[in-house]
Amino acid sequence: MRRTVVGVCGKGGVGKTTVSAILAAELGRRKEYKSLVIDADHAAGLTMALALNPESTINRARSETIAEIKEKRMDKSELAMGLDYLLSRALAERDNLAFLSLGRPEEVGCYCSVNSLLREAIEVLAGGFDYVLIDAEAGIEQVNRKVMKSVDYLLLVSDSSAKAVRVAETIREVAAGTAGQGRAGLLINRIKDESEVAEIAGTTRLEVIGWVPEDETVRRHDFKNLSFFDLPSCPASEAVIGALTGAGVLD
Amino acid sequence: MGLFDSPFSRVRDFIREKEGSGELVRLEMDGRRSWPRGQELILEDETALELGHPEKGSLFFLAWTENASGEDEVMLVGPDLQKIPDRSAPFALAVLVSGQFEDEYDCFRDLRDEVFDTRLRGMASRVMPSRQTIWTRVKRDALENGMSLAHLGAAIIDNLRDFEFVSRVQTLFVTSAKEDVEKLAPAALESDRIARAMIKMTEEMSYDCESCEFSDVCEDVAELKRIRARLGKEGPA
Repeated sequence: MRRTVVGVCGKGGVGKTTVSAILAAELGRRKEYKSLVIDADHAAGLTMALALNPESTINRARSETIAEIKEKRMDKSELAMGLDYLLSRALAERDNLAFLSLGRPEEVGCYCSVNSLLREAIEVLAGGFDYVLIDAEAGIEQVNRKVMKSVDYLLLVSDSSAKAVRVAETIREVAAGTAGQGRAGLLINRIKDESEVAEIAGTTRLEVIGWVPEDETVRRHDFKNLSFFDLPSCPASEAVIGALTGAGVLD
Repeated sequence: MGLFDSPFSRVRDFIREKEGSGELVRLEMDGRRSWPRGQELILEDETALELGHPEKGSLFFLAWTENASGEDEVMLVGPDLQKIPDRSAPFALAVLVSGQFEDEYDCFRDLRDEVFDTRLRGMASRVMPSRQTIWTRVKRDALENGMSLAHLGAAIIDNLRDFEFVSRVQTLFVTSAKEDVEKLAPAALESDRIARAMIKMTEEMSYDCESCEFSDVCEDVAELKRIRARLGKEGPA
């Protein structure tokens, strides 16, 4: 069994979740592999894009674990086992895919504890899967919190804006500092003018693995709130899959 | 009185009742000891059977007694895997061990961990010890190849019999009805309270019985008082 953990990161608004949804749907078509898809964005965009409705979330598993410990029903030696059980209950399944959503903390405050549990969850659950795809929240917080420490391939998504490319570079640098020098590639999304791709490639240290054209099929699909599992083959989906295949992430 | 004698005896009553009504069968273990071992992720799509889904009724517990004799056995109340209708059933697994348990804490940990580590190819179990639940999936090809609860029972027995302090192991499976699983709940709860009281008094420094949530259990179970006295003498002040 192969196991590849792919983390999809980038600046907010660059189409990271769309790229993740296209990849999730592609993994769903590859029946020979078992894949785990994690929506690690508190806004739950991927959950909506795939029209999945998980009964529970990582955050709820966290709350239940805390309750068990507070009631002194769970001791330290049972923690990993209990977490595995609760996270398994939180999985939504569809054919060869399992899906896990981070959810939002119920209390006001920072997300550190949920991110810590997310890191644990990836380690606890990833073992049995061939592919793990993580749609990270925008920016560097989860990279900084070492959530991506078990990621084998960091897929950095940007659009053609200089700001988005710089954010991708920052994420790469932070990831290299916290998670080591794993592989990474830049996918430039929503390109209207192909000539910009070469220009971006000339100004960044990141390896540009491909570009995705602005695609009316994807825009209409999003507009109608349809599941990306039902997205027909289109230039955007072909570009995403082609880029990841070229990078050696997909067979 | 042994540490788990009371819950052990409750399970024996259940077994007697089910034997009397002809609902309990003893599964043959011969030829069922060689199922390949290994951990496996089983997704819903490849699942033939689901046992002990949280909504269906689920229970797992362990109890022991000393100086009991007899053969190892796998007992079943309800249909075996091949005959479970509708791909789903409630599930209880009670592991009853006989032997000599000198260090109760270590013995309990060893036995429990060994049961949890008993993994068969084509069967994936997830347990939540604090809720005493076990949730098991059986893969389609495992069922087609004749997997039975006798394979799991025999594997648990073989693993536990490796401990020198164990002289006999009985595994009791229930797949019949949620009501039957619930009939075992008092024994499971009692066993859990005793085990947790023992774990607490072994692992924690505080010996304040007045504020302890397990003081009622210690009052009822003489063996816990003995462990407490031993720890008070040998453990931290």
